Amino acid sequence: MIEPRGVSPRLRVAAAERATGTAAPSGGPRAWPWALPVLVLLAPLLLWPLATILWRGLAPEGVPDAAAIADVLGDGYYWERLVFTTAQAVASTAVALLVGLPAAYVFAHIRFPGRAAARALVTVPFVLPTLVVALAFQQLAGPDGLLNDALAWFGLGPVEVVGTIWAILAAHVFYNVSIVIRLVAGVWANLDPRTEEAARLLGAGRWATLREVTLPALAPAIASAAALVFVFSFTSFGVVLVLGGPGLDTLEVVIYRLAIRLVELPAAAVLSTVQIAATVAVLGAYSLLQRRTARPLAQRSERARPLRDTSWPERALALGVAVVLVLLIAAPLAALVHGAFTVGAEGGVTAANFARAFEDSRRLSFVEPVNAMRWSVTFAGGAALIAVVLGTLAATAIARSRGRLAALADGLLMAPLAVPAVVLGFGFLITFNRGAVDLRGSPWLIVIAHALIAYPFVLRAVLAVLRTLDPRLPEAARVLGASPIAVWRYVELPLAWRALLVGAGFAFVVSLGEFGATAVLQRREFATLPVAIYTSLGRPGLANLGQALAMATILMTVTAAALLLIERVRYRDIGEF
Amino acid sequence: MATLTVRDLTHGYEAARRVVDGVSFEVADGRVAALLGPSGSGKTTILRLIAGLERPEGGDVLLDSASVLGRPPHRRGVGLMFQELALFPHLDVRANIAFGLRMARWPRDRRERRVDELLALVGIEDLGARRVDALSGGERQRVGLARTLAPEPAVLLLDEPLGALDEARKRELRRELRSLLDRLQTTALLVSHDLRDAQALADDLVVLDAGRVLQAAPLRTVLAEPDSPEVASMVGWAPVVDGLARGGRIEEDGVGSVEATGGPSAGRVVAMAHPSTMSAVPPGSGDDSGAHGTVVGGRPDGPLHMLEVAVGAGASVRYVDLRWATPDVPPAPGGRVGIAVDGGTLRVYPR
Repeated sequence: MIEPRGVSPRLRVAAAERATGTAAPSGGPRAWPWALPVLVLLAPLLLWPLATILWRGLAPEGVPDAAAIADVLGDGYYWERLVFTTAQAVASTAVALLVGLPAAYVFAHIRFPGRAAARALVTVPFVLPTLVVALAFQQLAGPDGLLNDALAWFGLGPVEVVGTIWAILAAHVFYNVSIVIRLVAGVWANLDPRTEEAARLLGAGRWATLREVTLPALAPAIASAAALVFVFSFTSFGVVLVLGGPGLDTLEVVIYRLAIRLVELPAAAVLSTVQIAATVAVLGAYSLLQRRTARPLAQRSERARPLRDTSWPERALALGVAVVLVLLIAAPLAALVHGAFTVGAEGGVTAANFARAFEDSRRLSFVEPVNAMRWSVTFAGGAALIAVVLGTLAATAIARSRGRLAALADGLLMAPLAVPAVVLGFGFLITFNRGAVDLRGSPWLIVIAHALIAYPFVLRAVLAVLRTLDPRLPEAARVLGASPIAVWRYVELPLAWRALLVGAGFAFVVSLGEFGATAVLQRREFATLPVAIYTSLGRPGLANLGQALAMATILMTVTAAALLLIERVRYRDIGEF
Repeated sequence: MATLTVRDLTHGYEAARRVVDGVSFEVADGRVAALLGPSGSGKTTILRLIAGLERPEGGDVLLDSASVLGRPPHRRGVGLMFQELALFPHLDVRANIAFGLRMARWPRDRRERRVDELLALVGIEDLGARRVDALSGGERQRVGLARTLAPEPAVLLLDEPLGALDEARKRELRRELRSLLDRLQTTALLVSHDLRDAQALADDLVVLDAGRVLQAAPLRTVLAEPDSPEVASMVGWAPVVDGLARGGRIEEDGVGSVEATGGPSAGRVVAMAHPSTMSAVPPGSGDDSGAHGTVVGGRPDGPLHMLEVAVGAGASVRYVDLRWATPDVPPAPGGRVGIAVDGGTLRVYPR
């Protein structure tokens, strides 16, 4: 038999594997020992609360009751909230893409002065606590904000932005532009320039090339960015709570209001179910697309286009992008810091707000800030620890499974990402409240919630590295006498520890800023910094506002610094997430 | 040291696309065997099956007549040197070599001594502290070999051990590897697509194609008496006459006819010979076997003159490099030559 020339055996084996979906070398390392502990933990901690929510929603009286669901969904008020939630998420996604795509182009292809600083600037918003961002926009565009100060200087009237949809949109775009840039610029920079060159030589103009060649290649990345932005905006909580106004509540805010007052729990349960269904649907689509984007990334061209010095239209574009990013990202953060140093100073500058954030302020607020900082760090440390263990186990499990099994494991193990934070807290609240698992008022619930929310970040970071690992390295170790655990300990772990560190850092930062689940589960005795900020914000007087701003500034500084540190540790600038 | 036996080994996800299809052979204790075959013939997969990195669909792998199929790779006592080497990038040269010893829990001082020994054995004493990404191709190859040898595997599996090297380096390492294998007396199975590697290193040859064994025998036997035209062409033989056997002769249109010995007396056959036993002569001269070809090119090669000769026509044309065996002026391109074959070296196979 003559073999067809030029087809390597490995390629043909790979093709056969793809065709049958059974590529797992049966003699290779197994995935389930790694997945099992995670699933054993996820079942009671995630599935049980979700099941409880579902049951409360579908069967408020103990028997499935379609009328109860119809009641909630038929209620005009809840229906309007659902429509608003969806509409603002669609709008946020559209604007984030509109701003993010040109920026992605600029970051992928154009050399311009201050590029490194701009890159750092766009990485920061990603993990900033929602309350910090909400406060920042309030300081920028609120009635006494910098924007109105500036307009007054030009003799223009004050504009009302906070309390309108515009403030919410702006904050959502602030957050999500960085996701669009990250996901799309990474792929764009690594597109093989030769396909575009070929298109040009075949007679396609600039726009035709963009439309016919470049955008189709970017489509999966753009679509996954859009899916993520949509989900984050759809489940937005802190931003909407602070910046929204009458009629501007997302489902997440509505659920929160119902949950903390422990009223209309069936309605909260039905709304939670609707929300989870929506996020699961969109994230399911996202994960499908991710699997497709993984291919061009894996086939990253050695000849990726170098950054170039460019023509004036491109320079103008870069300048425009820079201006928009500075206005969008730097201005609100500057406004926050400005507020923290000036509120209550009557035109001057003061450090009193910061002093107040460290003194025993029991008289001024419900929550003592120093205590809140201590609890925040404790929770973040605990959550990061749990998240690292769970995330590493889960990433190893996914990396060691193949074909459809891997997709299933990925979906199952990433499930916490699809559960909005307030819903998770709500689920804990109505699940761990009786019998042997009566954890009402236990700080453990917060640690667990934070760990569940943060662990997908560890998973993504570690998985990205494990997937790029040469599969022969573990095999070589095996043949040299290493047991599967020794392979992990002596080969995979040393090669992935940076990713582990990055994941741990992300988990820590995410926990520090987490507000949704915490808001539902918190008690005064172990309130976190975001809770303390929110509490101060809700109390009258400039002293309280100043204190909130000071705490938000501290939180912003810590998270931003942590993130920049993380950026230094990670060696690739393209993560999966 | 052990005898390696492979019995009816089968691997592949669908019957129609078996990568390895009923492969059996044996490498006796202390012998070096080479798996020879084109790309895609299943060589690497066989090594992976023996090492336990894949589980076969059928068949067995035995070390000293005991099946090792139930043992995971780290308990098989089999060493595998990957074609791509797979050196651990996070470890230096010494730590790479010591890895297997660490896994076997050798005490530190014994381990260090063994590593020194191996560094010396492969001739890279001064590279112990080097990072593996700061090594040249040849050095990497040596580290890979030392790492595989360190835990004293019962059987050594080498996947294209000279694969990625340039020709000069290859020749040097080939010679060293041969003397190393001689000294170690380890049972070894190596994979190569290059006959020269197999010739230089192996005692036995297992010729593979499309996942099946075509011939498994001592090297000399395979080279001198290939079993089939496929094996013959893999070890460099060329078809002299590809035609019909009739009345003790084999005829092919446009080539002529040769005397047939030892093959079928009727039907389609092919008569093959190794180019080293053939030469080109003036047509009709005494040594002319009766097969003829057309000169398409020629070049002096030292005192000799080599001719590139096209034999046959149309789809069955083949090109053979032949020595011009007479002192006469060699024919120009387009001229006809007769093909002389040393007595008894023409083998006839049924088609």
